[in-house]
Amino acid sequence: MSSRFGMAGGIPERRVRPIWDAVDSRQFKSALKLSTSLLSKYPNSPYAIALKALILERMGKVEEALSVCLTAKERLYSDKLVFIDDLTLSTLQIVFQRLGHLDFATSCYEYACGKFPNNVDLMMGLFNCYVREYSYVKQQQTAIKMYKTVVEERFLLWAVCSIQLQVSCGNGEEKLLLLAEGLLKKHVVSHSLHEPEALLVYISVLEQQAKYGAALELLSGKMGSLLVIEVDKLYIQGRLLARSCDYVAAAEIFKKVMEICPDDWENFLNFLGCLLEDDSRWCNGMLSDQIHRPRFVDCKLSHLADEVFDTRVSIASDFVETLQTNATSDSLRCPYLAKLEIERRKHLYGTGDTVNLKEALLKYFCRFGHLACFATDVEMFFQVLSPDERTQLLTKFIESCEPPHTAQLKVLGKSITIFKIRELIGTMFRLPVNKLERAVKFMAELYCQNLSLSKDLDPQENMPGEDLLSLASNVLVQLFWRTRLLGYLLEAVMVLEYGLTIRRYSWQYKVLLVHLYSHLSALPLAYEWYKTLEIKNIMLETVSHHILPQMLISPLWVDSSDILKDYLKFMDDHFKESADLTFLAYRHRNYSKAVEFVEFKERLQHSHQYWMARIEAPILQLKQKADNIDEEECVLENMNSGIQLIDYSSEERCKALTFNEDMQSRPWWTPSSDKNYLLGPFEEDSIKTRENLLQQQQTTEREVRARIIIQIRALVPRLIYLSIQSASSSLKETLEANDSIFDDNMSLKMKSLLECYARSLGLAFNDAVKEITSIANGQKSLEVSCSSIIDWMNFAVFVGAWKLSSREPSSPDGDSWRPGSLHIVDNFLKKFIIEKLKAMKPLTEFPGNDLLILVQMVTEPLAWHSLVIQSCIRASYPSGKRKKKSGPTTDLLTSPLFQAIQGSIESLRGTLEELTKFMQDQINASDDEILDKLFAPFQRKGCSEGPGQIIHILEDLASGSSEEEHGDRIARALHSWSSIDCLRKILVGQRKVLTEFELICESKLKLLQTLKLQM
Amino acid sequence: MCLQKNYVVAVMGKVEGQGESWHGHVTAVTVAPEYRRQQLAKKLMNMLEDISDKIDKAYFVDLFVRASNIPAIKMYEKLGYVIYRRVLRYYSGEEDGLDMRKALSRDVDKNSMIPLKKPVTPDELEYD
Repeated sequence: MSSRFGMAGGIPERRVRPIWDAVDSRQFKSALKLSTSLLSKYPNSPYAIALKALILERMGKVEEALSVCLTAKERLYSDKLVFIDDLTLSTLQIVFQRLGHLDFATSCYEYACGKFPNNVDLMMGLFNCYVREYSYVKQQQTAIKMYKTVVEERFLLWAVCSIQLQVSCGNGEEKLLLLAEGLLKKHVVSHSLHEPEALLVYISVLEQQAKYGAALELLSGKMGSLLVIEVDKLYIQGRLLARSCDYVAAAEIFKKVMEICPDDWENFLNFLGCLLEDDSRWCNGMLSDQIHRPRFVDCKLSHLADEVFDTRVSIASDFVETLQTNATSDSLRCPYLAKLEIERRKHLYGTGDTVNLKEALLKYFCRFGHLACFATDVEMFFQVLSPDERTQLLTKFIESCEPPHTAQLKVLGKSITIFKIRELIGTMFRLPVNKLERAVKFMAELYCQNLSLSKDLDPQENMPGEDLLSLASNVLVQLFWRTRLLGYLLEAVMVLEYGLTIRRYSWQYKVLLVHLYSHLSALPLAYEWYKTLEIKNIMLETVSHHILPQMLISPLWVDSSDILKDYLKFMDDHFKESADLTFLAYRHRNYSKAVEFVEFKERLQHSHQYWMARIEAPILQLKQKADNIDEEECVLENMNSGIQLIDYSSEERCKALTFNEDMQSRPWWTPSSDKNYLLGPFEEDSIKTRENLLQQQQTTEREVRARIIIQIRALVPRLIYLSIQSASSSLKETLEANDSIFDDNMSLKMKSLLECYARSLGLAFNDAVKEITSIANGQKSLEVSCSSIIDWMNFAVFVGAWKLSSREPSSPDGDSWRPGSLHIVDNFLKKFIIEKLKAMKPLTEFPGNDLLILVQMVTEPLAWHSLVIQSCIRASYPSGKRKKKSGPTTDLLTSPLFQAIQGSIESLRGTLEELTKFMQDQINASDDEILDKLFAPFQRKGCSEGPGQIIHILEDLASGSSEEEHGDRIARALHSWSSIDCLRKILVGQRKVLTEFELICESKLKLLQTLKLQM
Repeated sequence: MCLQKNYVVAVMGKVEGQGESWHGHVTAVTVAPEYRRQQLAKKLMNMLEDISDKIDKAYFVDLFVRASNIPAIKMYEKLGYVIYRRVLRYYSGEEDGLDMRKALSRDVDKNSMIPLKKPVTPDELEYD
């Protein structure tokens, strides 16, 4: 904090240090005192003033801090000032940044740099300001100035990176790279390069322009020696050669890398790709999506002549065999995987024989079949085989599994592998129910037999055989899907809870339970397990999809709000800090990281999940406050009446969305957050092709749908605001002619938003309105997916509200909406809610999503409609008098609109009463009776079919467990196991959801009662 | 850095410090669950140590681990690390951290690995 000469901001350091010490130890009051005393001595020192601003900001006195900061800025600009140092400016910068005024900080530095044009420290500060503002052009200009002033390599590289960022993240054209190249070339001639990172940036500039030859020349020249890790250098060389289509030379290079790193699979694929002259690894640049890694190696059918292809393949095979022979470690998998890949390519080319591939797979199984990664390793090779061939091969795997002297761990590992492969390739879905039951029993027995292997393990260590319980749970879910026997589903839950009783650290069990409990509508339990996953940092971005979508539509508002807050806090903190990290990378000469950090920030800023959370957080607040229009309006006011979210609905902006959710950790039956196979009948076919579908078509469909949802949801807050205004205006219009606050302009704006909304629903506005009218009048039924129902219901409410004050002369529906627009909305809402309610069965016996859809119907469209009514009634009172005594006039009371409002209140009350009754019936049902019913399948000891068999095996293990056999910790855990307690927990979880929902309904009923009395 | 199939392992580190404290620091090392028990973490750690030793000419490599993470501590001990000091309430102000170190060839007498007798608090850690 002090300058080299013992001066800080023109003040002796000894006077300043105590203030900083007080700030560092959070003694702000005493810091302020010291600062006041300093100011009395140096009243015009911008540094002393800036220090005071910093202290005030830390004390939370934001406005005062800003005002003091601006004074410091003024003094800085004073002509009398002859001295400006970076310390003063950086102190001001810190405060301005924390106050959200980066622009002020930048202008201070701009001014200082103008006054002292050759001061590099100040220019670095200015560069830093532009990094914070992501102003790549200005960054570049400043870096060039610094470079010209002191001719240092780092400043040239700062400029080059700024150019690269203009091209990749800004609006810069690619020809700018020519400028970067020119700058580097000139510098190299006079000074060469001295940092490995500088060379890497130079190469990347050339590579971006497809100047591979020039890049290779650099690498092989003198400067190539800057890269001291030989493999890294070879890797770049191979890549450049391959991208320049010199496949022969590239293959030679990748071969060298393989000799140094024989376990490098990616490099082997490079090698093989070059041998077969297949550019699929190079044509789209390097693989960059680290989240959605392809499960299959992408390759093109070779164009080579048969003879050439055979020669190249035999070169690869010979090399791979040499690698296998030279392998010094048993754990080296790559050379063996490579053999499989060669056989696969031969098969794809048409010269392969599946006999060879099967043989190679069998050998791979004998060698590595016990590893947990085996199934994932071989999945893509199995895809090449026909279903019959797969079955034959699995039989061979099983036959090979019986060497008498193999260690127990390896035998167990191989058994698990076989189950995993069956699951992966879908053979489990073709087994008859009785065989599936046998398989799952075998899994449970195997688990029990091998539990003693974990006797001495630390609870944080993975247990051998742990996967068996996840596999068993998956089979039980499948049995439920096929038979609809709830017992299987409950057993799937129990098996996982049993596993967690033994070891609470198993995240695989927890993730499955999050989904199972969500499906059972026992969301509090799902959330509890989710919390124990302790998801932090960037994992929030990739993993939150396990819980967020279902919580957002649940009645658990407090927990949902917490999840959103945690996630948004992490993301927003990152956005605040990322520029500082980027500057740190510049400062430490990690130029490539500086570019990477900015690109990463860009990706996160366009994240689908982030946008969703940004939109859903205020909608959640609106749901929470919807029973009080005044509080609702405060929420709306804080979001600029919903205007700030409308930007998210732009189709153009939505195109830039990135999808970072890691879907591979989801259970097979719910591969994405909007798909749940268990809600429909058993579909063997859909599962058979699941992997392929998910990887290609379904992912695209999901993304298209996600963009539409964003477009629709971003409009909701604004439409709520406009609906309230429109309703209020219609009443005022009735009361006092020409006193409308909702002018034509607003009405047009609302209509324009409704038109966008309708387009996202897939219809023109007029057609969508007609659709609603027809449905409300019972002339037709709406056939849309469950998730779209809410969008339609919300749309109906907003159109209804708009119609109240719209003065459009001709409406598409022949004006049937006026004055009865409320009536149409009432009918529309009632129809869907009551229909859904009638289809509902007791939650404990029939799990599914229906309850949450019902919750959403009440907490969104019904709530928004009640806001419209609240707005009308509030407006019916003379201005400023909203007390009951001075109620609406007699004229108003007899008006059609007022009668329609009364009708709406009655309609909503009727709907909510029915809902409340349904909930109370379930909440008040006897626990014991339900538990008896749920527990019945698990009491049939000795039964050889149906649910309950697995949990009996596990219960027997628990009751017979001893410290000698399983160790103290596991034995104690097993003795604490209780199946009925597990079921009771589910019941409690479901009750909590029902109770919360009932409370919401009751609150709305109370509101309607009050409104009725006010009329 | 060469990575295994499908990016299932990762190591992240940096070099920092002044004078004889110039060292490699392991920020994170992780192996996907399916790929554990194949000594992949050991390979990554060796790689990082090699770079710190031969390229960055560091004196030692250090890392922080939760005091309760016994399997990880055991693994680092097998790789030649010792507990240099305990850092009180290092993790979110709740759990203690262990600062583990392994000397590199430049630290001939392995001075960097002589354990401290008393634990330290996070405030006492030196940041660069």
